[in-house]
Parts: sequence; C-alpha cells; structure tokens
Amino acid sequence: MNPTEIPAAGIPWSEAIAALDGGSAPPPAITDAQPLLRHWHPDHSAGGPRRLAVGASAGQDCPAALADLLQADALIDDIDIAGCATVSTEVLVIGGGGAGCIAALTAAEAGAKVLLTTKLGLGDSNTVMAEGGIQCAVGAEDSLQTHFEDTLRGGQMAGDRALVAALVGDGPASVRWLIERGMTFDMEEGQGPSGRLRRKRAGGTRVPRILSFRDVTGLEMMRVLREAAGLHPRITVWNRSPVVELLSDETGGCVGAVIYSLHLHRFVLIRARSVVMATGGAGRLHLNGFPTSNHLGATADGLVLAYRMGARLREPDSFQYHPTGIAWPPALRGQLISEAARSLGATLVNGHGHRFVDELSPRDVVAAAILRECGEGRGVLRDGCVGVLLDTPALERARPGILKTTLVTLCHLAHKAGIDPAREPVPVYPTLHYQNGGIAIGTDGGTEVPGLYCAGEVSGGIHGRNRLMGNALLELVGFGRRAGAAAAAFQPVRPSGRANLGHVQEWRRALVAAGLPLDVKAPVLFPPIAGFDLAADRALGRSDLSARSLEAALQVL
Amino acid sequence: MVNLTIDGRPASVPEGTTIVLAAATAGIALTTNVGCMGQGVCGACRALVRRTGEPEVRTALACETPVEDGMQVSFLDRVAPRRPHAYSETDLVDGWTAYERVLAVFPEAVRCRHCSGCDRACPKGLEVQKGVNLAASGDIAGAAAVFDLCVMCNLCVAACPEHIAPNHLGLFARRLAAAGTQRPADLIRRLHEITSGAMTIDADACTDKQP
Ligand SMILES: Cc1cc2nc3c(=O)[nH]c(=O)nc-3n(C[C@H](O)[C@H](O)[C@H](O)COP(=O)(O)OP(=O)(O)OC[C@H]3O[C@@H](n4cnc5c(N)ncnc54)[C@H](O)[C@@H]3O)c2cc1C
Ligand code: SF4
Ligand code: SF4
Ligand code: FES
Repeated sequence: MNPTEIPAAGIPWSEAIAALDGGSAPPPAITDAQPLLRHWHPDHSAGGPRRLAVGASAGQDCPAALADLLQADALIDDIDIAGCATVSTEVLVIGGGGAGCIAALTAAEAGAKVLLTTKLGLGDSNTVMAEGGIQCAVGAEDSLQTHFEDTLRGGQMAGDRALVAALVGDGPASVRWLIERGMTFDMEEGQGPSGRLRRKRAGGTRVPRILSFRDVTGLEMMRVLREAAGLHPRITVWNRSPVVELLSDETGGCVGAVIYSLHLHRFVLIRARSVVMATGGAGRLHLNGFPTSNHLGATADGLVLAYRMGARLREPDSFQYHPTGIAWPPALRGQLISEAARSLGATLVNGHGHRFVDELSPRDVVAAAILRECGEGRGVLRDGCVGVLLDTPALERARPGILKTTLVTLCHLAHKAGIDPAREPVPVYPTLHYQNGGIAIGTDGGTEVPGLYCAGEVSGGIHGRNRLMGNALLELVGFGRRAGAAAAAFQPVRPSGRANLGHVQEWRRALVAAGLPLDVKAPVLFPPIAGFDLAADRALGRSDLSARSLEAALQVL
Repeated sequence: MVNLTIDGRPASVPEGTTIVLAAATAGIALTTNVGCMGQGVCGACRALVRRTGEPEVRTALACETPVEDGMQVSFLDRVAPRRPHAYSETDLVDGWTAYERVLAVFPEAVRCRHCSGCDRACPKGLEVQKGVNLAASGDIAGAAAVFDLCVMCNLCVAACPEHIAPNHLGLFARRLAAAGTQRPADLIRRLHEITSGAMTIDADACTDKQP
C-alpha cells in the first residue's frame, strides 16, 4: 500500500478526541496475519517491487527506488582518482555508528592499526537515536533458546539459523562488554548495581527481555563508544569523509576505499588489508513515500557499494515500518515514539475510539493494521495529516507519573509538538525505520568478497523479514565484535596487489549488457533535503596541499 | 512566514519550522551540522542564536529550536577540547583509584571558577558546573547522574575558560561508575550457565511459526 494512495479521509481530530473514552474493549484477535500483511504492509506496495537484473542477487525483488541505486553506475572514474593522495591502514572501518565503533575497537584491541571513516561526525548515526533498548536473555524464566525462537518467528522464519544463534548466544557477553566499556544499564527498582537488570517487554517476545538505559539507550551506548574509539591510540577517525567507492585488487578482493573529504573537497584513497562496512540503513530513501525515523546519513551507501563489488543480498525487499512515528505536526512527522510506550501499556485507538490490534504484536502487523485503519477511513485527521491515536492519557491515569519518569523522550517529542501527552493522545503513523535485510554475511561478518566484512544494519540474514525491538542494538555489538576480530585477523592472498576500480569497469559492462542506464549514479551520500552537489562541492577544492599536510588535516576533523 | 538569517543567509519559512530545516531552504548544504535531524540526541547541530530584542547570544540545538522572526543563527563546527584528556579502558575498573584517575586525567577540574559559563551554554539545561564540582570532590556517582542526558554537543567545552571539558569529565565519571560498580547478578549467572555449558541453543529445534 502506498501512502499517497491512502485517502485523506478520516475522522476530524475533535471528533476523535471526543470518542476517546480510555476504557476501550480489547482489540479483535488476529489468528492469521498474512492477509493483513499482504494487503496493507508497504513491502507489498502496489507500485511494485523491481526485479534486480545484474549483480550477485540478480532475480531478487526489492523496492524500485532501491533497485535504481543498486543497479546504478559509480560516482567516480579512474580519472577522478588519478594522482590522488593515498593513505594506508591495516583495517578500514566505514561508518561511525555503533557497529563501526565496536568493530574498530575490537580490531584495535587485537593489535591492528585502524582507520575509521564516517560521513557525518563520529556517532551521528541511527545508533545514537535508539530509545527502547537491547535484547538479552538474562531473566530466570528466559533462555537463549527462547530468545532464538522468538527472533526466528518474529522474522517469519526467514532468518539464517546460524546467524540468529550467534546473535542470541553472544547476548550476555555483549552486555558485559558494554558495561566494561562504561555503559550504564537500568537496574530493577530498589536494586543496587549488583542486583537484577530491569527488563521490559518487546512486541513479539514471550518474556520481558529488553535491557535499557531509561529511554535513551542508544545515546548512552553511542557516547561511550564514541569516546572509547576517539581515545584509542590505534584508531584514527576521519569525520566528514563519506566513502564513494571501494577499491579492488586483481582477484576481486576488497583492498580499501575512496573517500570524499567534505572538508578538503577532494578524494583520498585508502589502502587497507581488510574493510568493515558499517554504514547502517536506508531510511532517508523514503521508500514508498513514507516518512522516516532515521538520521540524515541513512542512504544505503554501503549496500550499494558492496553489491557493486559482488556481495550478495538477503531480503532486500523487506523493510520495517515502525508503527508509531509521530503523525503531526508536519515538521516532526516520522520521528519515533518508541515501542516502550506500548510495552508499558499504552493502547492504539482509531478515530472511533476503538482498539484495533494487539499493540504488542510484531511491528509489521501493528503497522499494517494502522495503515488499514487509515486506508479504510477510520484514521484521525489533523491539518491534513492522517494517523491513529496513542492513548497516553489513559496510560498516565493507570500508572500516574509514568510518562515523566520512564518515557522522557516521548514527553520531549510531544512537548516539541505542542502536545501534553498526559492530557492529549499523540497522533501516530508508520515511519520507515529499519532495513530488515542487507548484505549476506557469515557468522564472522564476512561477505562473498574476500577482505570485505559487514556489521550492523547494513548486513542481512539475522532478522528475516521482521526485526524485533532490541535486536538491532544487540546485533551491532555482537557482529561488530565478530567482524572487527575477523577483519583484524584477515590475511589477503596477494598482499601487494593492485588497488583500483577494476570492479567498476566490470560492473559497467554488466549494466550495458543488461540494457540498464549509465546516467543513474550511486551511492547518493546525502538525501535531496541536504542540498549537497558533489560536482559543485569539488569545485571548491584546493590543489596545493601536500600528501602529508592532507593527512594531518583529515585527522583534526 | 518567519524571516531570519542563518550563517549570513536570509531564510523565509513557515512558522513551526526548525532552524535546521530553515537552513536547508536557505541553500545551506546540510552536510556538517546535522545528524539525527530533530531528535536532539547527536549534538551535531550546535549553534549560536541571537533573538530580536535580546542583547546576549545564546546556544541552541538547531534541529530542536523553532525559528523566530529576526533570529540570527550561526552554526558552530565541531569543538575539539584543547587537551585530549586521554585514558584507557584499564583506567575504568578499579573503584578504589577512581578519584585519583579523575584528578590525573582532568587536572583542570579542581580549578573551576564557578563562572556558570557551562550551565548557560548547555542546551539540555543540565547542571554542568555542579557535575564538574561533584567529580572534582570525589563524588563520582553524583557527577555521573548529572550528565545522564548529555548529548556531547561540546557547547560546554567551548564555554569553559579553564579548559575543563566538562562533558568529557562527566562521561568519564559515568564510565567509571558503570565499569567499576555495575555487576548484575542475573547477567553473571547467565554468563556462568553459558560458559559451563549448561545453557545451549538447539538451532534446529524451532520449526513452527507459532510457539
Ligand atoms: C529512532 C530510532 C530508534 C531505534 N531504537 C532502537 C531500539 O530501541 N533498539 C534497537 O535494537 N534498535 C533500535 N533502532 C535501530 C538501531 O538503532 C540501528 O539499527 C542501529 O543502531 C544501526 O547501527 P549501525 O552502526 O549499523 O548504523 P548507524 O548507527 O546508522 O551508523 C552508520 C554510520 O555510517 C555512516 N555512513 C553512512 N554512509 C556512509 C558512507 N558512504 N561513508 C562513510 N560513512 C557512512 C553514517 O553516517 C553513520 O554514522 C532504532 C533506530 C532508530 C532510527
Ligand atoms: S553538558 Fe555540555 S556536551 Fe552535554 S549537553 Fe550540556 S553543553 Fe552539551
Ligand atoms: S565553565 Fe568551566 S570554570 Fe566555569 S563553571 Fe563551568 S566548569 Fe567551572
Ligand atoms: S541534529 Fe542531532 S541534535 Fe540536532
């Protein structure tokens, strides 16, 4: 279903508020969610997925807008990098979110010299925005097996069992690793630092399993990781240096990357023994016209670059639309209201004041149900923005004080929207949130391309066709460590081989053979709203910098 | 429409727009001073703001601040602390020497002159100065609590005449408190069950969609 097709019909705000009585009956039970998903989930959008014609996953479907980028031509040519300064490192990490920092730290702790290059500033990422928390089976009534099964079922049985087992089995050690680096977790009420961890329930899980720091878990995680990576003597960080292409050797292995320095307005080559791709997700592509909860840099760059080099994709047609993005006002539309509100008991009601879905069903089901309510005219309209209502006043009445103490971020967002959540419900509508699939990896984060590892949201196979809340943060820790360790240990077959754009030439031949256009270029680096134009930006460059002063200049920023 | 100036460029945008979105309409490329785009958690959009009729310049996170008529805004680049205040993970574990570490890594902390520059600079309204003073007097847990919602925008770094880097001190206190004292009993028991082989995963066991 495409939101542009959703009729702007619905129940006016004032009528919906009047219909809200807080004592609404339980929602109808869903025995088989498949018809609901098929009809209303945006993955099955009427606009139609596109079948990939070239690359290692030719024959697979994915959203048309993403297919255009996956099958695009490179941004650069040999001529652009002729004479460019070249810098060498052992491990190159691309992306400064949680997965990137953890891979960098792990590789550095294993003794490798690491260069971490990132598009925005270190830590400006989806990771810092995570609110709800991280899954880890620590409860006495919980087990690794239960977590394993919940994850597999949540993903509609499409996940890779070995990857899911690795994810879940790493959980407790991952949380310990985070605490050792100085991350704080909430403890159960009245318990000191050696008591029991506080656990919240997530949609699609049988037992409470979400560990958190208030509702700013990602902020707490990211500021610790950013500091740790920034202070590590073997890690060099380049901010404002998006990767525009990978470098290959004559065997097709990945041996580095080309970055564009937004500061120096020029390309720089990085040669590396191995590369960890940790560029995160794709929310800023606004697939199917949806708003997004993602940070500005989430433009699928890593997916595009790894695919061009020969990596395979998994579930590239499966995206998570978080059920509760804020629906109004327009300036904030798409920003996230964490699942924590529903975990704590907040209900969703339509314009008639009726609940319509079990709020803790898997996210794809809740999102599809909201789109159904809106599509069938039971949504709520405010200034032309359609949505349903998150009944925060009822939650506050049932558990006085809970909004202020536990849902700090929700209150903060509501305040910016001019809503008092204790007295008024918050209008919500699904927001493009997470890339369920991604680059296919093994349990060490390795891809089909020798020397290229992936970790975090860019990789696929763990979450199947639907990710459970809290499993993304868990993934980036466990697989960030796995990829970092494997990249540090990797030894190339031909260590002193070439490093060039050989794979791009091959790619172009494949595009031409498939009759695909060469005028679409990718990765996009920045979404249109950022107003970034590579050609115009390059024109600002200086040509009088020596290689040495250039390297120094890159490190300062 | 609201009219304002951002980095010297005029912008005219509807009421309710944030400064960051206004910057985009003014033709400023959003490649540096933006990250989370409105959640107010990454600290990248730090800015100086002067409002009409106000003599002083204030600090703000531009993605969270709505435009006002006559506003003058300039974005601040990443502020790096003068000194790196370097330490390593091994500095975090021993609670008995935590205070020594604080004094050694942040020697400037005891020289706080109580100018409140950091408090005024903090867009999150944290009691930064109090946190610095708590850390400097050895109350690590107290200092850690003050900085619980710090987004590391570094505006307090820019404001501090003593180069204390208050937020980095606060984060050091947080990391010391967590790494040095947090030992959850349930996590430790589960780790033991896993390392002893008592808890394993049968990856072939789950074949049904419904539990
Ligand atoms: C609002 C929000 C709330 C969430 N809440 C939760 C939660 O409660 N629990 C949970 O488990 N998950 C949550 N998630 C999902 C989770 O935060 C992400 O999936 C996860 O943090 C991704 O981590 P990452 O390191 O892979 O990517 P990111 O953290 O996004 O980092 C990727 C980095 O790569 C950089 N980059 C991108 N392209 C390039 C390029 N070409 N060159 C160089 N660098 C590049 C980006 O700028 C960014 O810094 C949430 C996500 C959002 C958006
Ligand atoms: S304490 Fe400093 S870094 Fe933290 S939010 Fe306040 S001003 Fe920003
Ligand atoms: S700005 Fe520096 S010197 Fe002034 S009160 Fe804050 S910490 Fe102390
Ligand atoms: S853009 Fe992240 S705090 Fe403003």
